[in-house]
Amino acid sequence: MTERSEGIKKRAPAVTPSDEGGLMTGDPLEEVRARAARLRGRTERVRLGEVTVRDLCRYAIAVGDDEYAVAARAAEAAGRPVIAPPMFLTGILSWEDGPPEDELRPDGLGAQESPCTEGLPVRQVHGGQAVRLLAPVRAGMTINAERSLTGADRKRGKAGDFVILGLRTEYFDDSGTPLVVSDESVIVLGDGDGA
Amino acid sequence: MELEPGLVCPPLEFTPTRVRLFRFSAVSWNSHRIHYDQEHARHEGFPDVVVQSTMHGEMFARTVLRWAGHGAVLHRVEWRNHATAYADVPLTCSATVRTVREADDGHLVELALTETAADGTVCATGTVEVHIS
Repeated sequence: MTERSEGIKKRAPAVTPSDEGGLMTGDPLEEVRARAARLRGRTERVRLGEVTVRDLCRYAIAVGDDEYAVAARAAEAAGRPVIAPPMFLTGILSWEDGPPEDELRPDGLGAQESPCTEGLPVRQVHGGQAVRLLAPVRAGMTINAERSLTGADRKRGKAGDFVILGLRTEYFDDSGTPLVVSDESVIVLGDGDGA
Repeated sequence: MELEPGLVCPPLEFTPTRVRLFRFSAVSWNSHRIHYDQEHARHEGFPDVVVQSTMHGEMFARTVLRWAGHGAVLHRVEWRNHATAYADVPLTCSATVRTVREADDGHLVELALTETAADGTVCATGTVEVHIS
């Protein structure tokens, strides 16, 4: 990806560290819900950057689709459009330059990739995703995204309580044409040792 | 190929090697340590490094596109993670046609998918909608 110097944020639906503050209650999962409640209704629009043929080929090869890369490079050489693998946009977790290593959370995630959890003794896993593909993504396109937090529901499971965060990301090209809509769920679990 | 509900697609088998997990984390700029740091993965309660969720979605999409052939266009891919998948454990994606309806000089086909580990554990289930001309 060609990135902008101001950095690109993904999975950060209008969340900034200043929005989050420190731990304010004794229950980290309730704090996650409280933070999420403050973010409901906000939408953040960000410029992700330009998609290159190399981005697409590296993605395809990383997931074992070697044939895609051969076909994409042939199309590029012939001057034909290079269409992205359908799951490319939503497969990218972050389009940012950083954050620097010393700013990562103990689990390796950046604050922007872990909304509503900064400073809290919680961990997270991905619950699932629904991706609607509205128009093809081509190399050379500049991608923009609008992100919002759609829900924060507390549940009780066999291993204890957890919160399901709902995150929506809508992707557009520079002319505003919708490309992809993604709804994903992130499961936030309590973790007493803060890892 | 006669499109009708119940039609079973050829399964897609693959092994998410450690190198594949590392490269997918790198290319998606995903530094979550559960995907490449075995010690940290164990600290979080996993026996080994974990397959990325988006890898499941990618493999579901590939399973359907490989079967649907040239010119097929994906409209929707949904999946839910049920159990954690781990490095070097072979996975199989299976797909069965659920519905078929005529649309835009072709057919809009919905398939139900399951991703199963070598020991029979269902790691993810999902739905894919694809247009086939």
